Amino acid sequence: MAPELQTLDVRIVAISKDTPEEAALHKERDSLQHITLLADPQLEVIRQYGVEHHKAFGFDTRNTLTLGGIPLGLVPSFKVMAIPTSLIVDETGEVRWIDQSEDYRLRSNNDRVLGAARDVF
Amino acid sequence: MIWALSLAAFLIVLNTWVAYMARVPSGRVPARPWGSVALQISGIALGLAALAVWMSQATSLSTSIAVWAMNPMAIVFGAFFLWLLTQRKTPVGDLRVEVGDTLLPFAATTSEGTLFHTREFEGQRVLLKFFRGGW
Repeated sequence: MAPELQTLDVRIVAISKDTPEEAALHKERDSLQHITLLADPQLEVIRQYGVEHHKAFGFDTRNTLTLGGIPLGLVPSFKVMAIPTSLIVDETGEVRWIDQSEDYRLRSNNDRVLGAARDVF
Repeated sequence: MIWALSLAAFLIVLNTWVAYMARVPSGRVPARPWGSVALQISGIALGLAALAVWMSQATSLSTSIAVWAMNPMAIVFGAFFLWLLTQRKTPVGDLRVEVGDTLLPFAATTSEGTLFHTREFEGQRVLLKFFRGGW
């Protein structure tokens, strides 16, 4: 999706509850050099925008089940994190599109975002 | 037969997970994952069938170990997959902006450790994504 958005001159900025260090690892692991990753570990921006999910089910690589020192897998837990939400903002700072799919798996689906970006710009 | 049931259960559940998760990074998970649901239910059913067969006949220790290694995992992970799908309708939340509003200004730290402010967006087109974070 990034190359297509680049042709529309759209900058991609992503923000999550990760710390800057976790965001850096994520950026390297998933080759996200074309994206600006922002860290919001205190959820200040997430709360400012009203996208806090209090009971999100997720995994944390720091929470590993071990047996005698042997890692057996990640232990899932309910955590506070951002509700996946995408906004397209134009050059004047106006919000032009918001992805509010109820199904979190479909939010920010590439086709949806690209379609919206083409419509807006 | 017990080996066939156990292997089928384990491989169906495992491969369904792998195939589904492989689509997550590219944002192309199916809107209606009925195929994955059907496969997971099949895997769970096969796992239960394998355990039922094990209980109905004498088996060697090695077979018993294999049966109890593969089938509970198939059943648990298959059920977990199905349960996760029931959680897909997350709340939309109390989003504080609407289309037509001006973006709420904020500051944050980048992954490089530098300070960021939305002033940088002036004159730029931006896709701003709130996401759950890396794992």
